[in-house]
Amino acid sequence: MIEIRFHGRGGQGAVTASRLIAEAVAKEGKYAQAIPMYGTERRGAPVTAYVRIDYRPIRRRDLVHEPDIVIVIDPILSRKPSVAAGLKSGGLLLLNYPTPPEEVEIGGDFMVSTVDATTIALETLGRPITNTAVLGAFSRVTGITKLKSLEEAILKRFPGEIGKRNVEALRRAYEEVHLPKPAKGPLRPREEEPPHVTGYGVLKSVADWRVFRPVVDLEKCVGCRLCWIYCPETAISLVDEKPIIDYDKCKGCGICVHECPVKAIEFVRESV
Amino acid sequence: MTVEVMVGNKAAATGAKLSRVQVAVAFPVTPQTTIVEYLNEFITKGEMDCEFINVEGELSAQVVVQAASRIGARTFCCTSGPGCLYMHHPMHDTSSLRLPVVMAVVHRGNKGMQPDHTDLMSHIMTGWIQWYVENNQEVLDSIIMAYRVAEDMRVRIPIAVGYDGYILSYTAEPVDVPEQEEVDDFLPPYKPTPSLMPEDFDPKAPLWWRVPWEEHHKVIVDAKEVIKEVNEEFGKRFGRSYGNGLVEEYRCEDAEAVIVAMGTIASTARDAIDNLKAEGKPIGLVKLKCLVPFPYEDFQRIGSEVRAIGMIDRNVCLGVGGVGHTFIRNAIYDLEERPKVLGFHAGLAGKEVKVSDIERMAEKVLKAARGESVSPLVEWV
Ligand code: SF4
Ligand code: SF4
Repeated sequence: MIEIRFHGRGGQGAVTASRLIAEAVAKEGKYAQAIPMYGTERRGAPVTAYVRIDYRPIRRRDLVHEPDIVIVIDPILSRKPSVAAGLKSGGLLLLNYPTPPEEVEIGGDFMVSTVDATTIALETLGRPITNTAVLGAFSRVTGITKLKSLEEAILKRFPGEIGKRNVEALRRAYEEVHLPKPAKGPLRPREEEPPHVTGYGVLKSVADWRVFRPVVDLEKCVGCRLCWIYCPETAISLVDEKPIIDYDKCKGCGICVHECPVKAIEFVRESV
Repeated sequence: MTVEVMVGNKAAATGAKLSRVQVAVAFPVTPQTTIVEYLNEFITKGEMDCEFINVEGELSAQVVVQAASRIGARTFCCTSGPGCLYMHHPMHDTSSLRLPVVMAVVHRGNKGMQPDHTDLMSHIMTGWIQWYVENNQEVLDSIIMAYRVAEDMRVRIPIAVGYDGYILSYTAEPVDVPEQEEVDDFLPPYKPTPSLMPEDFDPKAPLWWRVPWEEHHKVIVDAKEVIKEVNEEFGKRFGRSYGNGLVEEYRCEDAEAVIVAMGTIASTARDAIDNLKAEGKPIGLVKLKCLVPFPYEDFQRIGSEVRAIGMIDRNVCLGVGGVGHTFIRNAIYDLEERPKVLGFHAGLAGKEVKVSDIERMAEKVLKAARGESVSPLVEWV
């Protein structure tokens, strides 16, 4: 039995990715189980999903505690050593990360492989929904499921143009993934639980959920308050009728950018 | 037959679709909600010829399924946790009026969103047949079988098919989906008795109206034979059956002790039993599927074959104890030589039950089987 743990954030498609793997391996005659861990459904909140794959029906219904493979589809979570908690010796850590495995800071007795899925997703889908790109890397690096089975599963789930673009992301990542190297980084996963859904924004900083940062051009702003009304995290306050963003509370959802009638808010990619 | 990777809630909706349900009534509640969504998707796409009736709450949902069932529609309902509790009063009537409604109960405990069996078990006295199933295949198959049993003229009692929320409701796994024609052959159309439709209403026919307690009880007890028959026939036609329909004994040959589990804990327990068997330990698993009517005869036989039984209850009857534990002790009381019966409360409020937890419980039951003293006899895991 092969056990996989996914880490991502609400909206990036970790749960969908886990189901696509299950569907792809089922096409190849194997058995699979895809288990999502839901907390409060909130775009941006850390999400965990598990997949088991075997040649016979899978019966155990507990969660995966010692995965063979950990897949992180979010670039910021990819920096947290706790994502590798419990990863088996000799296992694989597959990260959505912009640099080659040699530059990954997480280390241990496992292999690490990287793919810049965020860039691939932005260039193919136009949005940082990184799940299908990471699956292309998964297929190449592990050989557990064929690219073709994943393509079929994607096209079945997303018919039409969206499906085609997701297949493009999948294929690009298949080509561009950095093959596994021993994880020699200095940061060891501690025996702590991997990141799950954490508290609401008023208590904790959600700054590291952001892939993009909204930046207000106060010159352009006409003070209409729409961004202030629509922000789901109450991250925006009005000072002299102009919006000020509290970047500890802002999760980078982009709603304010979308709502601003005069395009006074720019969405700037955060560096990893 | 095609294999489709689907979540438990889709398996439930697909079971209802294949059973050609004509009226579905439900109020959405987590974690049952996506059943409602799948049903409406099937109906909108024209795959299912069914009337979905929106109601303002579960109490109305149960009353509306009664009305639909009485006039002759095959009806389906689904709910979870608090919604399930809210329909308590009309559930008594659905059974009293002997209406063959089938309802999926996606377990959710009352201390949060996570599952335990206290929602459906709160309805033990409503006169519904209760099944607890362990995987998505069994969800789909059991809904189909439930209509066959419920509509059998010897039964005419509603059935609740319970499965653990989250653990199955949102977990995707391969499910064999039978062909519509095969299901049609197995499950003939429903005929109400007596029909209240104007064209076949007979004013002189005896009208079933709240069957008296003693008769009501007997009908439900006798349903055990029908459940066994239907399970066996399902096995012949579809190549899958679930023990004898009431309980399933897994690797119990030569067992000196058994653990008894329900729902998804029974599924996980199979791996634990395989591990212990590999070490030569004389233990087996009994999956308790049908809680009501309770399979007393099966537990009397099992009780006479082993020295210890360990019941894992994903429930508690507050101030009384584990429901399975209490019933099993009742079942074995009349045996000449009684086995020890240990109890474990596990998995309440969705607490994870690992393979290793079950192995540890099983070791304790084996210890009791060897005549060693174990304490406490009932523990919270
Ligand atoms: S991106 Fe804009 S709307 Fe979204 S949380 Fe940040 S400030 Fe609020
Ligand atoms: S929506 Fe744009 S114009 Fe309106 S207050 Fe916000 S930044 Fe200013």
